[in-house]
Amino acid sequence: MAETLCLSDSDRSSSSDQSVPSRSNNRSLRIAEKERKKNEAEDSFVLALRYFSEVEAGTPVAGNDELDRNLAVVEKVAFSKGLSPEAISVLLEFAMSLRMGTSPCVRVLKCLIPASVVAQQAVVRAVVWLNVSKIPISTQVLFIKWVLTVFDLIDAKDQLRAIYGFIFSFITEENLCPYICHLLYLLTRKENVHLYRVRKLLELQSKLGRQPFLMHLLSLYKVFCPELVTLSIPSRIRSGFKNYISPWKSALAAVQKSNGQQVSSSISAAFTIKEKSISRKRKHCHLDLPALSSVLNKEPQSEQTSRRKMVPLVHLSSFAQMLKDMHRIELPAQMGSLLGSSLALQYLDCVQEESALLRLNFWLGCALHEEFLFCRQTSEEALQFLNNLLSAQHFLQEGFSSSDAFLYKFLNVWDGSLLRPQILGLLSNIPVIPSTQIGRLLFEPLTQLFFTSSMFFKCGLMECLNNMLLKWLTWHSVYALEDDLDISLNSHTSINITLSGFKDSVMELVHFVGRLASLGLQLEGCNTLLLSFILDFYETVCDTFLKFGLPLVVMPPPGVFYPALLATDPVSVDRLAYIMHRYKLNLTSAKSQEKQTEPQQAFHISRHTFRQFNHYLVFMVNCLWNCRMFHANTDMHVREELLHKSNVPQYWTRFDFIHHPAFTGYAVDFHQKCWPGKKDVDVNSIKQSKPWSWYLEYLFNQGFDGLKDFVHSSISRQVTAGDELQDSQQR
Amino acid sequence: MDPLSESGMRTPHNGAVVQRRSKTRSYRQSYRSCLGTASRLGLTPALTARRLNASRRAAKPQNVADKVNPEHLALLVKAEWQLSYVTPLYQFRHTQLRSYSRQLAAFIVAEKQQGLAVEVSELHNSYRVSLSVVQGLTESEDDAETVLIQIHSKPMFARQDEPQRSVWSGWLTCVHGSPEYLRSLPKDFTCLPLFGSRGPEYLSRVVKSWFQKTFDCCFGSLEINHTSLQWFAALWTDCHSQSHIQHLRMLWTIPAAPPLQITYTVDHQDAWDLWNSVRKGPTAAVAEDAASIDLEEVTGFLQALKSHFYRHFRLDLSAGTLQQVSTAVGSAKSSGRIKMSNSRHVIATLTLLTECALLKMPI
Repeated sequence: MAETLCLSDSDRSSSSDQSVPSRSNNRSLRIAEKERKKNEAEDSFVLALRYFSEVEAGTPVAGNDELDRNLAVVEKVAFSKGLSPEAISVLLEFAMSLRMGTSPCVRVLKCLIPASVVAQQAVVRAVVWLNVSKIPISTQVLFIKWVLTVFDLIDAKDQLRAIYGFIFSFITEENLCPYICHLLYLLTRKENVHLYRVRKLLELQSKLGRQPFLMHLLSLYKVFCPELVTLSIPSRIRSGFKNYISPWKSALAAVQKSNGQQVSSSISAAFTIKEKSISRKRKHCHLDLPALSSVLNKEPQSEQTSRRKMVPLVHLSSFAQMLKDMHRIELPAQMGSLLGSSLALQYLDCVQEESALLRLNFWLGCALHEEFLFCRQTSEEALQFLNNLLSAQHFLQEGFSSSDAFLYKFLNVWDGSLLRPQILGLLSNIPVIPSTQIGRLLFEPLTQLFFTSSMFFKCGLMECLNNMLLKWLTWHSVYALEDDLDISLNSHTSINITLSGFKDSVMELVHFVGRLASLGLQLEGCNTLLLSFILDFYETVCDTFLKFGLPLVVMPPPGVFYPALLATDPVSVDRLAYIMHRYKLNLTSAKSQEKQTEPQQAFHISRHTFRQFNHYLVFMVNCLWNCRMFHANTDMHVREELLHKSNVPQYWTRFDFIHHPAFTGYAVDFHQKCWPGKKDVDVNSIKQSKPWSWYLEYLFNQGFDGLKDFVHSSISRQVTAGDELQDSQQR
Repeated sequence: MDPLSESGMRTPHNGAVVQRRSKTRSYRQSYRSCLGTASRLGLTPALTARRLNASRRAAKPQNVADKVNPEHLALLVKAEWQLSYVTPLYQFRHTQLRSYSRQLAAFIVAEKQQGLAVEVSELHNSYRVSLSVVQGLTESEDDAETVLIQIHSKPMFARQDEPQRSVWSGWLTCVHGSPEYLRSLPKDFTCLPLFGSRGPEYLSRVVKSWFQKTFDCCFGSLEINHTSLQWFAALWTDCHSQSHIQHLRMLWTIPAAPPLQITYTVDHQDAWDLWNSVRKGPTAAVAEDAASIDLEEVTGFLQALKSHFYRHFRLDLSAGTLQQVSTAVGSAKSSGRIKMSNSRHVIATLTLLTECALLKMPI
């Protein structure tokens, strides 16, 4: 059979080889093939089920390939998708009836993973089989464990309760007893408690000793019928039944997760995302989000509120419901609980109550201070807590003031590695700090951390500061609009103060990052990764005016500009070119706006900034384009003799587009493409006007858009490599 | 929009800005910090670091016994208390203490029953809780009245007729709390930042968790740091003129290997003489209405004690940390345990501790 299959396969491939033209045809074939395979799989599963339901008792197991194959099919489906109620019924019946002995029985039991629910009927039948067939004790235990595992998924319990007495009779079996007790504990109703059962349990207790499982069952009996159980139950029996290792639990969880329609989650409240932490150590008591609960202590409130009927937040289960009752939502007893629920965060987003936010901040600040200020190691709970906090802040698009206050303290004791991603995430949410305070609160501790930490921390911090700046600027661009609206209402001066205060803070931050970046690049030997994060930052900085409407342009320090320009990787140079291009656009538009507006209202960008920009631009053009690298009036003062001594031929051309270490590879490649026959590569031949423009075209086609923009905006191409630089300058 | 107009009142220079903030959501604090103005709460939480007062009034020998119920006072004075700080209580009413007592009692029973499948009927009335106001401990009008919590219960194996005994007690207080801080809170909040408890740990836990659930507050442990312990040493020595301090005993730990613990006991008269010598100016002579004690004097006093020790043992105590200070007036441990032995100086001690607790407030 295998052979024929092979044949048909090869047939098909050869035929498709011959029928080259229609691709779509080919594709539909593939789809059909997939469909067929899927159907086949389904068919084989149905066949397997049929096999298990119809197989004759006493069929030999040893060497039974059919059984093996069918078992494999069932297992595959069970562990990937879970089994339907019908499949479980069939398989359970097959296993418990011991139609083919015990070994397949165990194997089947182990793969009984329900996809949705388990039919009660099947369980009842299986329990009955317990008595009829001679199932080994270990298998019986396995079965009861399975029932305990899927107990919540059994669709009804009434019939199981009806055979309570029957199940109870297994209690005398010593190995089964703990599990049977657990099952009984789950099934017991008041009417099941009888004196003879109590006696039986007590008798067992005298035989087995004070076993916790017996005590639990007895204590439940005592709850229902205190008069029957006179035994004193110790106040501290270990809570709950032991969580026996069950082979199905993880598979069940996986299947339910992949099915997406979590059966168990529908049982737990959909409202909160609060998860009981695995280990509830007392140490981290502050990290448990309080449960969302309504106010315990309803006191006679003011008339206005008592007239309206309040709806506790806990009772809301959907966004629509929340909208409906928006005006009469009652806040929970503990505001901290809002952090765990997305719906509650929606409400918090529009809540106007001062004290509610203060309560939340008190709780949050206290938790952060108590758990993290002197914390030295990460724990699962700590991580989860901070991630929760971060996602809440993300949702609200701003930080909580208590977490800011905490960070200002924490930065002084932080080692830079503890919970780094989370702390940096929180840090990037810090609101604008006045320039008088920013040094003490932020720069001092961060400087220390930056220079004493690894490269990765440096990169992380750069990213964080970039995000912080982005948030500040975004915040400004949103509220700058409101300023405009308010101009008529308010005196002008206060807004001006606001703006200049904000500008000062932003400037401080940018300068601070500039210092860090310059020194960081030196320390790390101009590491490309670090440089990339730094250029990220300057991509934000160069667009402050056009993108965010903030009349402020700050140039990068030489310590960033030159390493980027002379970097060995083309990407950095390209990004620098892009940044310079954006600077140019920002500066030109700022300048034109400055000319339009009246003098007293005008913002002013200092001449120094323009001069610095021009300076960089001239250098860059000289370097990449004009081959006049060591021209006078540049930052790079290298004495003529020294350059001669270095024996570098034509040293002034070393950093043009052809010889720049980042681009030589491209130049050589271009050369080979341009003159394929030429043996000796003379890249200088590209310098001629025609190949030069082809070469540029070639570079731009490599994806160097930054360079393209830069060349187009800053270099007038009519003058081929000319020395007409005035065009490219601002002033 | 009450709070807004209020803040406008407090920060007249930035009225315009505050006005504009009204459009934004109320928890936007970006503007506050951006401008460096006081927030609407009157707090600039993170930006102004609160510090321990550098100078405080000398402990006046107050006869609190006149003002405070002697029963309450005896309770406060006789025991050692474990301290915590508490964030402001939300919607706490001094008028509701009776109903709080009932709720707390029920809560304790419920907590005890948790995990028990069996309802034990005796539990129901096994706890009697009383919350009461301790009148007369407040020092300024901003302070909220002190609340005393007592839990009575019968011991496990008690006879039927045996009376209930006090098993746990605690109090929440605020003495001389920083008026700026207290006034900055909305009126829904009651600030009783200092919590002392005595009794089994599980009851402390239950009481704390009831307060947390009911008044949305948080508890954290309050350690008494080095500086505060030095203050206690000085303050209590200063009391010597009114009540005999017997001795000034300090416990130092020195980070040596093996760790060294030093108990340094100073005779009362010597301590008093030394203290008077470091006191500045004529105030020492008229200690009755001594205006204030400066941090300078305190450190000077401790420095003198240390150098005296150095002269004898060639060991500089500055390298170590002060763990404990005790006199006949009171004792304080760095772990946050305090004992006030003399009712006349309760106020001074609680004032300093309230300050420590307020320093711990997260915002």
